Amino acid sequence: MNDHEMKGPALVRDDDELTSHLRVIVAPPVDEAYWNGLEQRIMARLETRLARGREENRWWALSARAYQFGLMAAGLTLIVAASIFLRERALERRMAYETVIESPSGQPQQVWARRGLVPPDRQATLRAVTDH
Amino acid sequence: MTAIALPWAPTRSRAVVTERPADERDLVLAAQRGEREAFSELVRRHQRRAYAVARSIVTNHEDAEDTVQEAFLHAYKAIQRFLPDQAFGAWLHRIVANAALDATRRRKVRDADELPETVASPFRDPAEGGELRLRLKEALDTLPERQRSVIVLHDVEGYKHAEIGKMLDIPEGTARSDLHYARSHLRQILGALRSGL
Repeated sequence: MNDHEMKGPALVRDDDELTSHLRVIVAPPVDEAYWNGLEQRIMARLETRLARGREENRWWALSARAYQFGLMAAGLTLIVAASIFLRERALERRMAYETVIESPSGQPQQVWARRGLVPPDRQATLRAVTDH
Repeated sequence: MTAIALPWAPTRSRAVVTERPADERDLVLAAQRGEREAFSELVRRHQRRAYAVARSIVTNHEDAEDTVQEAFLHAYKAIQRFLPDQAFGAWLHRIVANAALDATRRRKVRDADELPETVASPFRDPAEGGELRLRLKEALDTLPERQRSVIVLHDVEGYKHAEIGKMLDIPEGTARSDLHYARSHLRQILGALRSGL
């Protein structure tokens, strides 16, 4: 049983009328120029979007390159700063060492004292006392 | 004795039987390779049907046109995932239906926030002629979105319930009942208009 047989003639007539009205209400444009224009608009939008996509990709590639460059520069700066810092420290140590070596008193005595030993001049006195 | 393979024979016979789909398959393959002209040809072939699907879901011509444009852009982006042996039209119509449903949701939000637009459309809506048709269009617009889509897709565009179900992502039975409710509602409006006019 088809759709028409299930309904009465009045309903069929109403539905047919309804369909014919609906056809007009949602009818697509009939002008061929409209469809040509729509196709062109779609393709133009597609081109624009693809171009924007390419531009964004280029920007990302550029920023990725800039990021790599920045990272390298930061690394290099860190290396240079670290080497300067180490050099400065080594220089300071050396200067401190030289200062201590060159000073006539102080450090050697302090060294003897720190090690719990008797200084050489006192050792001689001690030897003389114990020998006699 | 070895059998001689004739690789061209089945291809030729298939080409004779279904020339257009094979042709369309070639177009899809070319579009997948990035050939813009092939995609343009697909647009040319399918834009009318795509418009009809969109127009069944959205309530006006401008939104239908926007939807068609958006749907084709989406189709271009997604074409690599499309299997060329499937029906391009059915795949596209599903994209169009989704885009149209999105447009309808956006339109609802916009209409809730803004005053009605008064910009003149370059395309004159055919429903503008005739009081009865105008009222019927208003009634159509007040139908729930899915019922409106189903009645237009079925009665105007000639899609089957199963096809509509696939397109709108609803069970076939739902498409049937939606059609029933939409028809009876519009029939009532039509009756009331006839007696009033």
